[in-house]
Amino acid sequence: MMSLAARSGAFSPYLQATNYAVAGPLKALIPGVVVKGEKVLVDTKKPFLTRESLNGQSPKTGPAVSVSINAKAAVRFAHTDIKVPDFSDYRRPELLDPNKSSQESSESRKTFSYLVTGATAVVGVYTAKTVATQFISSMSASADVLAMSKIEVKLGEIPEGKNMTFKWRGKPLFIRHRTEKEIATEEAVDMAVLRDPQHDKDRVAKPKWIIVIGVCTHLGCVPIANAGDYGGYYCPCHGSHYDASGRIRKGPAPLNLEVPYYEFPDEDTVIVG
Amino acid sequence: ISMYCYKLPVKCCVTKLPSGLVIASLDNYSPASRIGVFVKAGCRYESPDNQGVTHLLRLAANLTTKGASAFRICRGVEAVGGSLGSVSVIYDTVMEYLINVTTAPEFRPWEVSDLTSRVKMDRALAAQSPQMGVIEGLHGAAYKNTLSNSLYCPDYMVGHVDADHMHNFIQNNFTSARMALVGLGVDHDVLKQVGEQFLNIRSGMGTAGTKAQYRGGEVRVQNGSSLVHSAVVSEGAAVGTDEVMAFSVLQHVLGAGPHIKRGSNSTSKLIQGVAKATADPFDASAFNVNYSDSGLFGVYTISQSAAAGDVIKAAIGQVKAVASGVSEADLTRAKTQLKAEYLMSLESSEGLLDAMGSQALARGVYHSPEAIAQMIDSVSATDVANAANKFVSGKKSMASSGNLVKTPFVDEI
Repeated sequence: MMSLAARSGAFSPYLQATNYAVAGPLKALIPGVVVKGEKVLVDTKKPFLTRESLNGQSPKTGPAVSVSINAKAAVRFAHTDIKVPDFSDYRRPELLDPNKSSQESSESRKTFSYLVTGATAVVGVYTAKTVATQFISSMSASADVLAMSKIEVKLGEIPEGKNMTFKWRGKPLFIRHRTEKEIATEEAVDMAVLRDPQHDKDRVAKPKWIIVIGVCTHLGCVPIANAGDYGGYYCPCHGSHYDASGRIRKGPAPLNLEVPYYEFPDEDTVIVG
Repeated sequence: ISMYCYKLPVKCCVTKLPSGLVIASLDNYSPASRIGVFVKAGCRYESPDNQGVTHLLRLAANLTTKGASAFRICRGVEAVGGSLGSVSVIYDTVMEYLINVTTAPEFRPWEVSDLTSRVKMDRALAAQSPQMGVIEGLHGAAYKNTLSNSLYCPDYMVGHVDADHMHNFIQNNFTSARMALVGLGVDHDVLKQVGEQFLNIRSGMGTAGTKAQYRGGEVRVQNGSSLVHSAVVSEGAAVGTDEVMAFSVLQHVLGAGPHIKRGSNSTSKLIQGVAKATADPFDASAFNVNYSDSGLFGVYTISQSAAAGDVIKAAIGQVKAVASGVSEADLTRAKTQLKAEYLMSLESSEGLLDAMGSQALARGVYHSPEAIAQMIDSVSATDVANAANKFVSGKKSMASSGNLVKTPFVDEI
């Protein structure tokens, strides 16, 4: 009886046992079979090189072909009945052909990949920086607080020679409408006698208006306006005398009264801060 | 537990039902039983327009039937630890089915179309073996019809055999008169009941088979293989004739395969004769096959392509030598070898079932091994010489494959 045995597992429809063995019970050929998609790849032929290996290969009678579930023994090529899915939808076009070397396209693929990664990284860094600064700057002062940092004053309400005090940023702000005489006096002062030399025009934007912060530079008391020996301010705490330009003339204070940032949007208004 | 070994009587009963169904059973007291339905519905009954249908039927053994789905059949068989298979044994007596699968298969179209991949795999496996190709080619060359059909679905029919072909084939060929229900390790009455109840669905003979016509042709397949497989045969004996035993004995006189694992095949005349003609590796065996109305007998050789001509001629020369006379020693040896081969084939339950089924189907009787041994012993030296002469003088058919540059044509031998 001529028969060859190919064996399989019970449930695998692709590997049903088809039995046929070669000449007699002494020799049996078991070909390995791989089912790959639509193709059936069989094991390459066993080479018959000697008289002994050929012994018994001739069939003595007609063949018997049999099929069964649960064949005699199952040589289960379990990994061969798993279908590898087709990934060609996901592959780059130059890599679709499995028989072509991938080295030809490797440079262009690498360049593309690295460029895209690099550009994305740069954009990513800038995005991260923006997001981070937005979050961190949200902790800074809010708009109402910032709004409170400026003060708008109608200058028409301040008569000449008068000093008005406003609360600004928690500190007293002096705005003085100077007379012509006062302006001339201050401008004529010699720098050499000043402890903190500053010319009057460096301290005012419009000579008519002197705007200073009313905090004594000695130890922080509030000077009294229109007092002192120099026609300006006098600090009662330790006896510092300031002139009409807010410069220190006599007393323990080291520096002139601070001049804040201000601007005149029109003739009649000033915004300090 | 007794220390003695009782020889229990082994009964083999054969009954023929009025419908023509033959029921045979042998109670061998085995814990496992085998049942087979043998049907005369092999590939020789294929017509030109349904070539390949038996291949599909062979593969469709486990598909859905009216009683159970394919899954249930598989799981049910597994659950009882059984096995279900179909065998296309010889060209005309074919197919082992269980009752359900035999009588009421449904051949659902999607299940049948799923078989296409299994057909392709079977064909690929068959193509692996050059012996298969040569034997199929030999039958194709030797006969004009019926027996020239292949066991496998031909290329142009793969994927085109559908459920209708299969239903028609079953209707025409799976009839009670052409079936034998055979059981091993089962009670005869039980089997008879099963046969009467279930296998009476299609009565009558079905379409009558045509007689095989031997023509004697040649087929040569040139390929790159360095080994040349070649079979040279002429018409042999049909099953049931007196010459069957003579041809079988002749086959063993000449040499039919190795009997021990290693060795120089000293008892094989063919091998010894061919060894004188070539020093290269080769193999040779006498080829003998019997069908219901015809048979083939000859030699099968495998040789290196350069030595093919010498090997074939030496093998044929050996047959001619036997035709002129065979010694008593050779005859006795051959008979012993034949008896041993037959008896050893009966030792497995599959072999026994096959033997019972083939005999029940062919002749409606089962001869015990003793009877067969007697038949073998009754073959005389003249019978063997006559058989050899029939080969030498008969019209030869030949099939070869490999690098055929040095292989002779059938008329040059």
